[in-house]
Amino acid sequence: MSVVAERGVSVRRREALSRVRAEFSDPEKRTAYWMVAPVLVVVLAVAAWPVLYSIYLSFFRILVDQRAFVGLDNYVQMFTDSTFWRALLNTAVFTVVSVAIEFVLGLGIALVLNRGFRGQGGVRAIAIVPWAFPQVVAGIMWRLMYQEQVGFFAYWAQQLGLVSAPILTSDTTILVGAIIADVWKTTPFVALLLLAGLQTIPGDVYEAARVDGATRWQQFTRITLPLLKPAIMVALLFRTLDAWRIYDLFWVMSDRQLESLSTYVFSFVRLSQVNISVGNAAAVFVFVSSLVIAFAYVKVLGKRAQEA
Amino acid sequence: MTDRGGRSRPLGRREFLRLGGFGACAALLGGCSDFTSHVVAGFTGAEGAAGDSVVFSFGPDDSGALSALIDKFNRTNRHGLRVIYREMPADTGQYFDKLRTQFQAGGGEIDVIGGDVIWPVQFAAQGWIEPLDDLLPEEDRAQFVDAAVEANLYRGSIYGVPLFTDAGMFYYRRDLLEKAGRSEPPGTWDEVIELSRRLVSEGQVPTGLLFQGAQYEGGVCNGCEFIWTAGGNILAPDDITEVVIDSPEARRGLATERRLVTSGAAPVAVAVYKEQETHTAFLGGRAAFCRNWPYMYGLVSDPAISSLKPDQVGVAPIPVGRKGQQSASALGGWNMFISTFSDKKEQAREFIRFMMDPENQLELSLKGGFLPVRKALYEEQKLLDKQPQIALARDIIDNAHPRPTHPFYSDMSLILAEGFNENLKGVETPARTVADLQEELQRIADIAAGVFDLGSEGRTG
Repeated sequence: MSVVAERGVSVRRREALSRVRAEFSDPEKRTAYWMVAPVLVVVLAVAAWPVLYSIYLSFFRILVDQRAFVGLDNYVQMFTDSTFWRALLNTAVFTVVSVAIEFVLGLGIALVLNRGFRGQGGVRAIAIVPWAFPQVVAGIMWRLMYQEQVGFFAYWAQQLGLVSAPILTSDTTILVGAIIADVWKTTPFVALLLLAGLQTIPGDVYEAARVDGATRWQQFTRITLPLLKPAIMVALLFRTLDAWRIYDLFWVMSDRQLESLSTYVFSFVRLSQVNISVGNAAAVFVFVSSLVIAFAYVKVLGKRAQEA
Repeated sequence: MTDRGGRSRPLGRREFLRLGGFGACAALLGGCSDFTSHVVAGFTGAEGAAGDSVVFSFGPDDSGALSALIDKFNRTNRHGLRVIYREMPADTGQYFDKLRTQFQAGGGEIDVIGGDVIWPVQFAAQGWIEPLDDLLPEEDRAQFVDAAVEANLYRGSIYGVPLFTDAGMFYYRRDLLEKAGRSEPPGTWDEVIELSRRLVSEGQVPTGLLFQGAQYEGGVCNGCEFIWTAGGNILAPDDITEVVIDSPEARRGLATERRLVTSGAAPVAVAVYKEQETHTAFLGGRAAFCRNWPYMYGLVSDPAISSLKPDQVGVAPIPVGRKGQQSASALGGWNMFISTFSDKKEQAREFIRFMMDPENQLELSLKGGFLPVRKALYEEQKLLDKQPQIALARDIIDNAHPRPTHPFYSDMSLILAEGFNENLKGVETPARTVADLQEELQRIADIAAGVFDLGSEGRTG
């Protein structure tokens, strides 16, 4: 057994070696590699170096002009900071709730838009308008609507007894407000991505299903959803990562009161002199957690999409 | 498998060009900032060739008073010296951040910095600005507003020269008080609450008191005033390594701030109010009392903003916790520092001396309406006639306190802003707030004591 296995390994290694040799013995290919090399260096310098460097720095305490190795101390401080937990909780709630609502609404809108009707192009163009707003402009707009002196929403929320205090004075109501603003703004984006996916599904599949006597609901769950999975994955992945990194909407809408992971990083790295290294550790945390989210999506949805 | 691996996909020309183009763009973008700074340096160099030049940074000069003085200096100084005014962001935090970045990178080209009153100690501790004891020797300091000088002291040396000052004031509606049969403004917070409730219940005015309670620097100023007017403090007056906020007095002060909201004297929304919201509501006639800076008095006579007339508005010192206690106002204001990295320190001193001159100080206040830093100007009739708020500020400026003068003040401010705001919203009790603040501020004070070798030298008294 082991001899066979060993032979297998050595065969594989020899194969790999010969592959590399074949790759580089071809002068044309060699030239190509030389020509790509500068770009590879640039990519490494631009993308990999800053990430690796901030991971390296996160093991140091940086104070004014002093730098001392402290191991995981910055992470310990971060995880024992109540503000960090609040930022994490806000970000998590915001991400899960807003992405869920945006997905359901976006799918509904996409299904409606996918049916042929007169003026379809115009409706599609109008539906995308909120998404075209810069995030900061949208944030200011919604802040005005929630503001207690002139705000439309503030007035009605008060009249209907939905809130007991002005909306902008409580983190909870601001968070709900931010979710509403984000749903308003990015549902069209999700709808558009899903619509693109829907249009790639050929009509004859549905025809065959109808001939076989499948109900509408069966068509939706057995045909539309499975075939839409690649598009769903792209939409959810984009939205989740975007929501996880939320910064501008929170700070513009709440006037720097509502913390997210990204605002936490900003306050600590840019505004503070004492907590720079903890802020850097938090930045690494945001990066790593985003990576985990991305991998999870690809693993779960990506695999099933391929199976389908 | 082997086949696919062996014959790897050759790199397409299109793809190659795309990658290459991307790399070139990145390189260009990276080089861009260097390019502009060289061009700018080239221009300033050309200006310097005509005579010596000094770069002076300051926020936007809305009144034009500062530019007028700079022009005067450029015309009249005997050495052919030229001051170049470099405009900085109006947002103080951004301006501070910009300077900090420049200093950390080794200087920048600014010689004289016009800066906020909370900066000198932070810059001095890092060694970024020069001691200026020669410009403001001990025997001259009494001519200046005490708190404005105190804010520029670090380890017994002067690091900044006050340019103009600012202090929190208590505005009240004269006409409403008269209707209520009162000739004097309220002197204690309890009176404010009582009067507010009366005026609101009689339907005279929608709300009682407005102040700045949002989570930002202005909220820190307001919170400090509540603590000071109750007899408390943030740091020990003679030792910046010792935090003293966990005291019955400070707790009472923050309890008063919260009680203003719970009693209905102030709207719940003050927890998100900054200066803008405060003055809009007060000048729109929607409140009986208002804590704000002197600038608001100038707006009263502007019918585009204000529905009130100047004779309807009075100004008084900030009310206190108990009768007989000393009123206190947070000190604002701007100062001049000299960058350690400047190679024109003598020329910079000449410019600062010019700006300190009583005659020029008078011009600055006449044109800009700023509160002067020279005590004598508060008696100058010409100035009081033109800028009436300066006469009103005379008593208030004596009670001004600088916010904690600490090398890590910006960190302390972030923590104070959050703590004060949570107390005001009722998220935390006053007792919990001061206990938490004590712990967090002391941690920062201890770090600073280690980094800057404060210890016994930290006593600034």
